[in-house]
Amino acid sequence: MDEQKSTGIQRSSTHTRRTRKKKKNQLPFGIAVVLLAVMFGILLGHKNPGMPIFWITGLAFGYILQRSRFCFTASMRDPFLTGSTSLTRTVLTAFAITTIGFAAIKYGAYVKGLPIPGQSYVVPVSLATAAGAFMFGVGMVIAGGCASGTLMRVGEGFSMQIISLFFFIVGSLWGAHDFGWWKLNVILKGKAIFLPDIFGWIGAVIIQLLIIALLWIAADKWENRKNLA
Amino acid sequence: MDIKKNKYYKLWIKDAWPYITGAVLLSLFQIVTLATTGNPWGVSGILANWGAWLYETAGGSVDKWYYFSSEGARRTLENGFMNHGGSLRNLGIIIGALAATLLSSGFKFKKIKSWKQIIAATLGGLLMGYGARIGFGCNIGALFSGIASLSLSGWVYALFLFLGAIIGSKLLVKYFM
Amino acid sequence: MKEVELDCLGEACPIPLVKAENKLKEMEIGDVLIVQIDHSCAMKNVPEWARKEGHNVEIEEIDDGEWEIIIEKVK
Repeated sequence: MDEQKSTGIQRSSTHTRRTRKKKKNQLPFGIAVVLLAVMFGILLGHKNPGMPIFWITGLAFGYILQRSRFCFTASMRDPFLTGSTSLTRTVLTAFAITTIGFAAIKYGAYVKGLPIPGQSYVVPVSLATAAGAFMFGVGMVIAGGCASGTLMRVGEGFSMQIISLFFFIVGSLWGAHDFGWWKLNVILKGKAIFLPDIFGWIGAVIIQLLIIALLWIAADKWENRKNLA
Repeated sequence: MDIKKNKYYKLWIKDAWPYITGAVLLSLFQIVTLATTGNPWGVSGILANWGAWLYETAGGSVDKWYYFSSEGARRTLENGFMNHGGSLRNLGIIIGALAATLLSSGFKFKKIKSWKQIIAATLGGLLMGYGARIGFGCNIGALFSGIASLSLSGWVYALFLFLGAIIGSKLLVKYFM
Repeated sequence: MKEVELDCLGEACPIPLVKAENKLKEMEIGDVLIVQIDHSCAMKNVPEWARKEGHNVEIEEIDDGEWEIIIEKVK
């Protein structure tokens, strides 16, 4: 989109005359990967009909993350590091959209007297949440990507992220090994809090959307404050 | 006709999308995930299973570990990778990103540049893996899915994640650049 | 008027951006900074930052998965 728009920057001749490698067209390889992915999905469906939806959503998440350069790590890091909050604000927008979508699905099950889906993601709040999130925050910035970002960058061809994926797996195993201790001594002291249980369904959604909106405004002000300075 | 000059090829496949397009589409598929599988999107919990499989391949055993002691966890481990939806979804993320880069003719294998990168990747990976286990997930499972699920844990996670990112940035600028 | 090249090939976010920021600070108005990157995210956030700062920016695709971001310091 930007290549054609010349702003008329003058460049010295030594640089522009650098020999360029001839670009290869990778499009056929891309089409081959897509075809193989489709075939793999069909095979999966024959073996276990529950699996293709996971495969398809995974492919979609990977494609979307790569195309839009969406990055949860940057949304948390950039306000401090570069003063940019454009990704922070888009992540907040995603929170707002999914809050409404999730609340609708959960409420739909609730009014029908069915079990509410996805309640295993409403987890206890304890010191372990704080410690785990803090460790994760440090780790994702120095490794240059969180879990989804690391997977995405492995697909993009980063060898550094292959290493961080491997040690992510090792760290997970380590954490799983120690999990019994954390659960007994820390996590059991906390309590899982589902906001609609406190504020009611409508109240919880409104309060959460208001918080998201306030954070959005704060992020916007933060960006402009840095700009003026 | 040259596909590379095609307007829609450029718009949808070649050029980067605006962030907001990503936000809307990820949210859509997040909602699809909850509606179709009964659970929100998660990434890091699955990696603990990958760890267990690797460990068992290497001759270890996780039978006595509390984390894998529930019947569901045992069954997931026994059924293997190809019957574990989350594993296939994680693999799908890698393949989807690969397809996206190839279709836009932007794939390049990026070699390790320095020792600093190896140390950063090792430390960062370990911290993320361990942190995600005790904090019940990563930016996806604990943060994105937690907040979307109207769970207080998502907001607490967000606060400490942000603090961690600040310290991480300081470390990065000081030691890993 | 100087032209400076900054090699950020193989570097992941946010290193290219921080390096570019530091480099540009040392440079004079009218100088041109060429940041070489092969990280698709940096290809978006480096130009975004430079434009926000008010500099002239061009992006050039050098090879498959390799870009040069040309930044002219204007203030």
